[in-house]
Amino acid sequence: MNCRSVVLEVTVEARQVEEAMLSLLHTILLHRSSGKFHYKKEGTYSIGTVGTVDIDCDFIDFTFVRISSEELDRVIRKAVSEFKDALSNSGSDGVGQISLEFYQKKKSRWPFSDECIPWEVWSIKVNVVNLANEQERQICREKVGEKLGDKVINIVEVINRHEYLPKMPTQSEVDNVFDTSLKDVQPYLHKITYQITDSLGTSVSTTMRRLLKDTLAL
Amino acid sequence: MAHFETEYQRLEASYSDSPPGEENLLMHVPEGAKSHWHHIENLDLFFQRVYKLHQKNGFTCMLLGEIFELIQLLFVVGFTVFLANCVDYDILFANKFVNHTDSSKVTLPDAFLPVNVCSARILDNVFVMFVVIISGVFWLHRLVKFIYNICCYWEIRSFYINALKMTMSELPYATWQEVQARIVEIQKEHQICIHKKELTELDIYHRILRFKNYMVAMVNKSLLPVRFRLPVLGESVFYTRGLKYNFELIFFWGPGSLFENEWSLKPEYKRGGNRLELADRLASRILWIGIANLLLCPVILVWQILYAFFSYTEVIKREPGSLGARCWSLYGRCYLRHFNELDHELMSRLSKGYKASSKYMNCFLSPLLTVVAKNVAFFAGSVLAVLIALTIYDEDVLAVEHVLSSITLLGVCITVCRSFIPDKHVVFCPEQLLRVILAHIHYMPDHWQGNAHKYETRDQFSQLFQYKAVFILEELLSPVVTPIILIFCLRRKSLEIIDFFRNFTVEVVGVGDTCSFAQMDIRQHGHPAWMSAGKTEASIYQQAEDGKTELSLMHFAITNPQWQPPQETTHFISQLKERIHREATGVPSDTHPLSLSESEPRSLIANLLTGPSALGSVHFGKDNFLTNHAAAGISDGASALCSLSPVSGSLHLRGSLSAAHRSAGCYTSTMSKGMAGSGTDARTVSSGSSAWEGQLTSLVLSEYASTEMSIHALYMHELHKQQSRGEMSRHTWHRQESDESSDSIPDEVRSHTTPHSRNFPHSHTFPTTVSSPSTIPTSASASATSSTTMGQEAASSQGGSHRRFSGPTTDSFGAGGRVVRSARVPMGGWAEDVQGATRHHEPLPEESSEDEMPPHIHKVT
Repeated sequence: MNCRSVVLEVTVEARQVEEAMLSLLHTILLHRSSGKFHYKKEGTYSIGTVGTVDIDCDFIDFTFVRISSEELDRVIRKAVSEFKDALSNSGSDGVGQISLEFYQKKKSRWPFSDECIPWEVWSIKVNVVNLANEQERQICREKVGEKLGDKVINIVEVINRHEYLPKMPTQSEVDNVFDTSLKDVQPYLHKITYQITDSLGTSVSTTMRRLLKDTLAL
Repeated sequence: MAHFETEYQRLEASYSDSPPGEENLLMHVPEGAKSHWHHIENLDLFFQRVYKLHQKNGFTCMLLGEIFELIQLLFVVGFTVFLANCVDYDILFANKFVNHTDSSKVTLPDAFLPVNVCSARILDNVFVMFVVIISGVFWLHRLVKFIYNICCYWEIRSFYINALKMTMSELPYATWQEVQARIVEIQKEHQICIHKKELTELDIYHRILRFKNYMVAMVNKSLLPVRFRLPVLGESVFYTRGLKYNFELIFFWGPGSLFENEWSLKPEYKRGGNRLELADRLASRILWIGIANLLLCPVILVWQILYAFFSYTEVIKREPGSLGARCWSLYGRCYLRHFNELDHELMSRLSKGYKASSKYMNCFLSPLLTVVAKNVAFFAGSVLAVLIALTIYDEDVLAVEHVLSSITLLGVCITVCRSFIPDKHVVFCPEQLLRVILAHIHYMPDHWQGNAHKYETRDQFSQLFQYKAVFILEELLSPVVTPIILIFCLRRKSLEIIDFFRNFTVEVVGVGDTCSFAQMDIRQHGHPAWMSAGKTEASIYQQAEDGKTELSLMHFAITNPQWQPPQETTHFISQLKERIHREATGVPSDTHPLSLSESEPRSLIANLLTGPSALGSVHFGKDNFLTNHAAAGISDGASALCSLSPVSGSLHLRGSLSAAHRSAGCYTSTMSKGMAGSGTDARTVSSGSSAWEGQLTSLVLSEYASTEMSIHALYMHELHKQQSRGEMSRHTWHRQESDESSDSIPDEVRSHTTPHSRNFPHSHTFPTTVSSPSTIPTSASASATSSTTMGQEAASSQGGSHRRFSGPTTDSFGAGGRVVRSARVPMGGWAEDVQGATRHHEPLPEESSEDEMPPHIHKVT
């Protein structure tokens, strides 16, 4: 609970799903990444630079900015394409949700594993529509472009608010806050999850875990 | 752009051995996570644990307590099994002789069976094995839980030590309010909650009491099936721990409960669309849980019996009277609990009312039983006396078989009988007693007042305040009755429950889903018959019964003086305080032409404590209209309080100190810096902001808070009684209230605060020629007007924070640099005031209007 959550909703055509998701996720990550930290001896650090790239979409009239990091792009692309496949395979009404969760690790004492405590969750709800003819597709192409533009502004507004962000870590703690596995960029720790149709939130494993905790905490 | 690129290049290239001077441009210092208390995942659990550790007096006490509990459990089961299977009772009773070689004495080990016989007997007995296995499983569960808890609470302990800077040794002597103040304080630096910059007291209470508030609200709205009309027993209440546990399981945390996690209701329950389907689902879940209960019934029953046997036999043996003693029932605790009232607050309140309550219940001894008991006691006493006399003469009498046991039995018999014989020299006044009880328990149904001497009232009160024996019996019955209630009663209510959770859940930023009643919003849940007429917009369904919203609000505001309620609420509180004060001080107003400043709860209390009899004697008997009634009520309560609390010089001294703290505390946050000139004020400011100091003060403070709350509760009940007395008197009351308030508060200001709700007749004391724009500035700058009453304070509070504090400001300035504490002595500050003349002018009409109440009323009606 102790985390912000932002919900975005988009309605797109099946072939636009991937690009729409990529544009939004990349926009968020653009603002939630920094250059690599280089720690010095005295407990100070300097920050490396981050480049940006403009990406033009094929199926949408839209251009977005992403961090020029191939690795990061690969990771996101993989998650998004999995989501897209799951969505198309689901065969149902084509409603899904992909969420990007920023979290912080907290070292725990021995009997417990490290906790991952989310501090911000972005959920993007996707509605997939089927269009009959080419003309409608053309309209849709423009419309979705506009919508995405709004969403991007929306995202930036949310990010601009002065709200909780994890404090800048010292060298030993940097892994608890930032994802340091990438070579050229250092986003906040995050994970991307998705689910097809809003089938009542929690998965089985979390329910079980909660049940166990509840019985213990009686 | 190019510049940056070069910079980048250089850093990459000569990262390790570049000259230090050039890198300073891009140097950052990490803040690091100085503490790991920022951003706690589950704040509900966290705050609950912080509270529990505080209540358990620190880590060591808690650890020891839990360890002993585990050992006790093991002992209970082991000892029972041992007694049942491994003792040769024939030897103990000397029916069988042991042949010893060396001595003829029978020793205890002689009575024990050999180990192999013993274990064989245990293994053969299916029932015993059953009990042992159940207890074993239960014990293991407790052990795992214990270990888990220790780990969790170790964390909380380090939170106390590192973040709150409190050692475990000082924890038992710190009040919860202090701990809470520190939590609020550290939120600013650690951000334990990430949604808000600052936590309020209410946030913390909401999180700790989230589910309890729901339960209180459900009991308040009579949603839970705990009252039954039984053929023989009449109306009775059945609410046991087992039942409560099941309710919580179903609603809050069990598998498939309405709540998704500790802090949010499942989204589908928030939508009204498929309520019928959800209700069906809930009903089937209740059915399953009921069946599970039914299946587990024998296990639970055995456990309950064992538990009761071992926890109560010792007590009964020690003091046999304790079964005849009473305790607050579980239902009573739910019914009497305010919204947002923590366990220790409730318990201290109920404990204070305990004496009066048992006295009240003792008024109703049945005369028939008394006659019987008297005679039984007489005969038993004679026999006992003879036996004792004989024993004293020659103690060999004791060796005769059964003499010792008959002495014991007769003794018990006499004790029991004596409890049915009323003390000759005590006179009971049920009505007064009930009022004293009300002063502490704060809630009671309307029809009790004036019917205190009736048996029905007593019966209903006994639902809240039951015999300990009945309590134990109910607990024992609970495993059998609970499934029946679940399956046949609760299931039928599933739709109502679904509706309840949908309608009365609000999502509060930074807290999550809470019961909307717990917001204590007069507008949404106020009851027009409880002082919030005109302010409330609630439908009957939304109104909390018994004035729960209003009383809870007062209680919370009084126990947490630092809390900043929303504006309307502030208005309500201050208005009520003002009125209570006026009722209290208005009576001797002939002698004191000036009313005391409202920001002094001490003066009110002191007044009540010192002269309750005078107050009471003046106004007892006259029940013509409100003022007298309320005054009588208050003086009743005051005399009660007087009798309960030791009135001494030191108390008064401490009282005045605490009052100074309290009133300053109320306003610290809104206080302008400039006025912290005088000594006490400066100190209270610091205490308000840091709250680290003065344990004694806060203790005194909380003691006073409860007294103040008692007076408020009495007053509100009086008002309520007045108001619900038919349409005519209600009408009168309304008019009267309007006049009173318009006396002290210019109409314009008033109507400004609650524009839609009021259209009072204009007061004759304040002609409407006062122009509205000038009103507020006058009340702010010319301290003469503003400092008189709290009502104005409240009225001006909407104008700005400095204005809100105007009353106390002038108070301290008027004292001319004197210490505020002394300035707050009644009259002290006023007498030497320069503007005294103008001030005399203002409050006088108000007092006189109150004195001339009867003609005044005539005028209006």
